[in-house]
Amino acid sequence: MNNNSKGLQAFGLATLTNQNSMARNTIYFLLLLCTLSACNKSDDDAKDMTYPQISNEGSDASPLDCQQYSRGEMLPVCFLFSDDTELGAYNIEIHNNFDHHTHSTSSADCPMDPQKQPEHPWVYNQDFSIPNGLQTFDAKHEIAIPTDIDPGDYHFMIRLTDRAGWQQLHAVAIKILE
Amino acid sequence: MIATILTAALVTCSAGSDNADLADSTIMLQEVSVSGQRQRDYQMRTSQSAIQVNHEFLRENLAGSLMQTLEGLPGVKAMSIGSGQSKPTIRGLGFNRMAVVEDGVKHEGQQWGDDHGLEIDQFAIDRAEVIKGPAALLYGSDAIGGVLNLFSNHIPTDSFAGILQLFGSSNNEQLGVSAKVGGRKERWFYRANATLIDYADYRVPTDSIQYYSYWIHLKDQRLRNTAGCERDGSLMLGYAGQKVLTSVRVSDSYSKSGFFANAHGMEVRLSDIDYDRSRRDIDLPYQWVNHLKVLSQTSWCSGDTDVKLNIAYQNNLREELSEPVSHGYMPTPDDPLERRFNKHTGSALVALRCTIGSHELRSGLSAEYQHNRCGGWGFIIPDFETATTGIYLMERYTLRKDLFVNVGLRYDYAWTHIHSYYDWFKTPIGLDSLFVMRSAEMTRRFHSLTWSAGINYATERWTLKSNVGKSFRVPIPKEMGADGINYHIFRYERGNQQLDPEESYQIDASASYDPKGWHFQVEPYLNYFPNYIYLSPTSQYVEGLQLYHYTQARVLRYGLEALVNYEMGRHWLAELQGEYLWARQQSGEKKGYTLPFSVPWSIDTALKYRFGRNNNGFVRVAAHIVGRQDEIVPPEKTTDDYWTLNLSAGKLLRVGKQKLNVAFQANNLLDRRYYDHTSYYRLIDVPEPGRNISATVGLEF
Repeated sequence: MNNNSKGLQAFGLATLTNQNSMARNTIYFLLLLCTLSACNKSDDDAKDMTYPQISNEGSDASPLDCQQYSRGEMLPVCFLFSDDTELGAYNIEIHNNFDHHTHSTSSADCPMDPQKQPEHPWVYNQDFSIPNGLQTFDAKHEIAIPTDIDPGDYHFMIRLTDRAGWQQLHAVAIKILE
Repeated sequence: MIATILTAALVTCSAGSDNADLADSTIMLQEVSVSGQRQRDYQMRTSQSAIQVNHEFLRENLAGSLMQTLEGLPGVKAMSIGSGQSKPTIRGLGFNRMAVVEDGVKHEGQQWGDDHGLEIDQFAIDRAEVIKGPAALLYGSDAIGGVLNLFSNHIPTDSFAGILQLFGSSNNEQLGVSAKVGGRKERWFYRANATLIDYADYRVPTDSIQYYSYWIHLKDQRLRNTAGCERDGSLMLGYAGQKVLTSVRVSDSYSKSGFFANAHGMEVRLSDIDYDRSRRDIDLPYQWVNHLKVLSQTSWCSGDTDVKLNIAYQNNLREELSEPVSHGYMPTPDDPLERRFNKHTGSALVALRCTIGSHELRSGLSAEYQHNRCGGWGFIIPDFETATTGIYLMERYTLRKDLFVNVGLRYDYAWTHIHSYYDWFKTPIGLDSLFVMRSAEMTRRFHSLTWSAGINYATERWTLKSNVGKSFRVPIPKEMGADGINYHIFRYERGNQQLDPEESYQIDASASYDPKGWHFQVEPYLNYFPNYIYLSPTSQYVEGLQLYHYTQARVLRYGLEALVNYEMGRHWLAELQGEYLWARQQSGEKKGYTLPFSVPWSIDTALKYRFGRNNNGFVRVAAHIVGRQDEIVPPEKTTDDYWTLNLSAGKLLRVGKQKLNVAFQANNLLDRRYYDHTSYYRLIDVPEPGRNISATVGLEF
């Protein structure tokens, strides 16, 4: 908007634009017509076109595919997030995989229990914020595994956004034992 | 002030009445190809870029849905949402940014919806017209990107005539039958038509689809649960007198279609439904919609003056059903009714046209009332009522017989009342537990002043025209009142009650040059929105899903369509056409990005051979070439370039007194796997349909 107003002031039209938004828009539109051939590409350079990254590399990354945990234990969560401009927020969600569905971000082929109907499956879904202005962030949590849930195969999901709104998903296949 | 001008115009106009034969002033459809001269006469009627679609085009290009039939037109696209449904877009603008008008009345369904098609029987349409660019002047709110004008009110000339059509296509195993009859006895006439269509799951050239991190395997390359059916009917009765023409038309369109299971709804992966047991059945999730329309049209014509009165009632009833599943704090619902929309629309238009010397004046007054009620367990839009009224005046001045200028002004007033909505289940908040409010009650009033001006100039070989205008769109209740999970596409959507009416300024031009045997045409445009309403993905999460909220941003768009036709002798016709569109958000959160569903450049080239008596048979080979789209905005993906080879042929045969029309089409003949960047299914990684061969046999009697 500032650039615009300056441009218009240069044409001596500032008073008019303050009074009448329709006239302002019309004039802006006509100005655009004149300057179209001189469009610069600076807008293009500024925009973020890359997804944020979720890294499970490093000795303390957790959970990893095919890991097993027991009810009542703490599930340690540790991932490194990174983005070329600025990270946004993240969500952790855990749902059962009693029906053997597949997430494409999980390449592992873990041995699975037979398919079954959920009775009292574990459902965990929590949103988390990341402080402003960070390009990397260490997400560390300890999630208590309830004692009364159905044991079996589960999917641990992380959703991560960057400031621009790109979203990255990461799925891990884990097993909860009795 | 405008009212005064209008009143003055009305008074002046009614003075110069004269006797004239109604038949001469009514533009009748004739089933002949539009010759160069007719085409030019049409182009000189409006200063906007517009395309006329005659009956012959509709017959030769008949596809699975009305929009797929019209898709070959430059600047027009069908946003595919399944095999039997598609949404129209004009120069990249669709949903509520364009108006679909049938017989002068704006079609009112749930056009905001991502997976809601057009509830119109394409077999009832006699001809169509596409206006590319803002057309608020005549059509009011929504006609910001253009208008698709459909005409199904042709007056029969014979005592009895009709057409029976049978059609089928291979890809989705579609079968259909449509009959249309009409007749005239002295001054009274009638028309009736009925259409039945049934189709199976459609085939895509892939064995699996990856969506939202899930791998979904397809059986026999069929997109499971995309089968559907359609039942349409209409009846029209009328009187065509010396000066008065009046008719009443009742039409009803019903369709039911499945949604692609596994990529629709939150927890479908837990489904026990065996989707692959049959490809013709429709399981959950599915939608059905019934659109009833009653339209009364009356015109009175006397000499240089005619007056038109349209009164219409529409009811659009839609239900979307899916397997009841719990999500977050929402317990498992008792029934599968996820969404229900029941919308009543009443509208009226009085329009007057009169010619005084070289001035043609048109004025009109329109009013519309909508009443929308929603049901089901999945909240997406609140209940609402809206009322709009508009008044316009336009003048067309003939400077010379080949030079026209026109100007117009319109004022609209809109009132919207949105109801509050509370969840039907309780959510624990702190130590308490309560029914969360998803939409607050609100009343808003909007005013808008729009205008348009243009010029037409023709010489023997050239037709030049240009138009500049402003259009507007009142924010829809979804944009203002949404606040909840969109279960269909894994996002949390939040409206904004402070949105201003969206405005658009556009300048467009059209130049055509017709030396002997050739036709050249180029139609560039420049379009600026000071406050484009845009559903922007944020970096935040709400209730486990990424938050999308409505914002407004300055947007600049420009582009062009161009075409060249060359007649090589009596039998051969070579066609080449292309289009390009550029869009950029110039302010707000997504500054520097394009708009969603940006149309990539494309080139269509075809060779047509005409044969038989009066050239009533043809064979046409066409290539459709589409460029790569790197211009994207979150959460879109870039889309690769592709090309498809298409073949069509047709012949009109005489069998005694009857005419038999046979048409054949093969689309995506090479069975290529490609993605359409402007398709709703692109977001869920579903490729476009594979090879499709379709045939139509029509008996005219």
